[in-house]
Amino acid sequence: MKKIIGVDLGTTNSEVAVIEAGKPVVIKSAEGNPYFPSVVAFTKDGEKLVGDSAKRQAIVNPEATVMRIKRKMGTKDKIKLQGKTYTPEQISAFILQKIKTDAEEYLGEKIDEAVITVPAYFDDDQRQATKTAGEIAGFKVRRIINEPTAAALAYGLDKKGEQKIAVFDLGGGTFDITLMEVGDGVFEVKSTNGDTHLGGSDMDQALVDYIAEDFENKHGVDLRKDLKTLQRLIETAEKAKIELSSTLKTTINLPYITVVDNEPKHLELELTRAQLERLISPIVEKTVKPCQQALKDAKLKASDIDHIVLVGGPTRMQIVQKKVEEIFNKKAERGVDPMECVAVGAAIQAGILSGEVEKDIVLLDVTPLTLSVETLGGVSTELITRNTTIPTKKSKIFSTAADNQPSVEINVLQGERPMAADNKSLGRFHLDGILPAPRGMPQIEVTFDIDVNGIINVSAKDLGTGKEQSIRITGSTKLSDDEITRMKREAETHAEEDKKRKEKVETRNNADALAHNVEKTLGEIKDKISEDENKNIENSLKELKKALTGDDLEEIKKKTDELSEILQKVSANLYQKAAEKAASKQASGSTTEPKNNSWSGHPSGDDKTIDADYKVKDDKKKKDKK
Amino acid sequence: MTTKKFTEKKKEPHDKKIVNLKEEIEKLKQELAEKNDKLLRSYADLQNYQKRIEKEITCKEEEIRKKYLLEIIDIFELIQKAYEHSNPKDGLQAIIQNIKHLLEIEEVKIIDCLGKSFDHYCHHAISTIEKNDCKDGLIVDEIKKGYKLGDKILRPSQVVVVKNKDIIKKEGE
Repeated sequence: MKKIIGVDLGTTNSEVAVIEAGKPVVIKSAEGNPYFPSVVAFTKDGEKLVGDSAKRQAIVNPEATVMRIKRKMGTKDKIKLQGKTYTPEQISAFILQKIKTDAEEYLGEKIDEAVITVPAYFDDDQRQATKTAGEIAGFKVRRIINEPTAAALAYGLDKKGEQKIAVFDLGGGTFDITLMEVGDGVFEVKSTNGDTHLGGSDMDQALVDYIAEDFENKHGVDLRKDLKTLQRLIETAEKAKIELSSTLKTTINLPYITVVDNEPKHLELELTRAQLERLISPIVEKTVKPCQQALKDAKLKASDIDHIVLVGGPTRMQIVQKKVEEIFNKKAERGVDPMECVAVGAAIQAGILSGEVEKDIVLLDVTPLTLSVETLGGVSTELITRNTTIPTKKSKIFSTAADNQPSVEINVLQGERPMAADNKSLGRFHLDGILPAPRGMPQIEVTFDIDVNGIINVSAKDLGTGKEQSIRITGSTKLSDDEITRMKREAETHAEEDKKRKEKVETRNNADALAHNVEKTLGEIKDKISEDENKNIENSLKELKKALTGDDLEEIKKKTDELSEILQKVSANLYQKAAEKAASKQASGSTTEPKNNSWSGHPSGDDKTIDADYKVKDDKKKKDKK
Repeated sequence: MTTKKFTEKKKEPHDKKIVNLKEEIEKLKQELAEKNDKLLRSYADLQNYQKRIEKEITCKEEEIRKKYLLEIIDIFELIQKAYEHSNPKDGLQAIIQNIKHLLEIEEVKIIDCLGKSFDHYCHHAISTIEKNDCKDGLIVDEIKKGYKLGDKILRPSQVVVVKNKDIIKKEGE
């Protein structure tokens, strides 16, 4: 399938996106940025520069650098650069060419079709010029769409029936408000308004002025007069502005900002979000009138608007969001990056045209809630986590909890809570006929297989005997949305106590397993350890078992730790003795043979020998790799 | 009799053919259903794989962040120690060496700019200055140091560049 890219050809920066595997992806420039500065220049040697490099040399070479060419689109203006004349279409084409090359590099395939966005107020000439620019750059321009339409597409607002949408686009230097009506996937612009000299850079300037004036009051030096300090101020102001979008307070700290009377001066200033908002509120206030005018022109009331879409970096600031929501008395849509949403929308339009969206993508369901089985102590052990795309199949191996346990019960659970009792049981069955064996030995493979319709087949197989049992559960994924939300919410609200309960069971399970293990191995090592050690272990084991009959979690933990500690000491002694023995044998010229003898003489026989063998092989492999 | 026999004979293989074809259809139907199921499962696998990769990227990002934060914390603690000392110069010297070493390991290099000709690839012109006794395009001041990471630009140097009006005029003529 041929890819078509979506291009937001902007005044200062351009952005590009494409649909990959059904999802919009923003394409990065060769310089590694998610945007392309809309700047074109020619050096004295006649080299053409586009994007970042053109922007960097703009001040050295202003006569041969073009910025904001978008404002000239559709005019008969000619641009003279290093002796040659260009049309605005040609200049825009240079930007689009760079985008094309970088996108091809990024995606690893040829791209020759594009959807390009233009402001809603662009007239036919301006649209035609944009299309021509695309064609000069080597694109087949599949469609020219309005920027606000693209933004609305990014939010999927074309699929919600008849709606009235306000797109509030506050960029670095311009502000646009567009009111639209959508029905049957067709967008109609009702009115547009705006201010071509209003945006984020005004806010940065206001903040730089504030910081500089504060410093001047304290130290009598205007930091804006020195290029070096001004540059540091600009960078700091931008950082502070971004930081205050998520925090309420920040400290601006610029050590060694300047020298007064041979004395280094440091800039230190605390800035609150409220202060910043006071500084920029006159700028934000300027967006109100265009919005009201747009409503008036469209013959709409603020209450008629169903959705607000925010575009542009400055709309990330709460004060801007609040203002928009105040004007239209409605919450703005959230979830798509306002810097990227026009390009993303253009990519969605491109995806619809190429068939990548909707047609060929199989829409597969996901499991709305986690599926698990109940294990020892009433714990839910998950097999398929929620949000897993189906059809899918997962297996896990379980074992018995007691010696000679003849059967296991498989209780299939649905839900996010860690304890089985709090989740919904979808069904249960038994697997019988497990041969008598010590606990933990039998291997029971439990498999969950969900087909495309959400029907779950759960099977349990005794890998020893090959015996199998299964159950078929239908309609599990057909939970109502309310039910799913309720179950998720419950999991969230009970998270803390659930964690404690699970911990409790786990502590108990660990203690129980330890006691069981010690009981079993004590018989085997009895002859190899001292009587004192033996007694110590037995006493500690008795105490742990006693603790297990009660409900005091701390006590169980304490006794588990005590027993583990004793065991560690004993086993350390044991290994040391063994090592000494081996060393003395090796010294007397003995080979590893005796070790093999001791393995073959082990009561549980061959299995364990094989086990040990594998481990040795593994270890060797690891060492070799190193 | 003979004709009947004849038709029966002909009919038999015909029926058999139908039965065979029906069987074939059933087999193909089943095969198609299996293939379809397989296809859907690979789609689902792909989507689950994408989800896992996203999770892994988040983990990786966190790992990298941790690594660099720990480096910063080490430096922070050393600087704090230096600050508490009455004569911090020697200590600071050592700290600077440490940081330099860290940058060297990561292949971070300072971009030369003073006295060089402006290069849009690694320099960012912040301002120009008119000077008729210097070469046009010469960098005479560095506002902020630039760095390279291997061959890539980590940050361009911010510079002030000479504008020599005489030369420009001559070139224009």
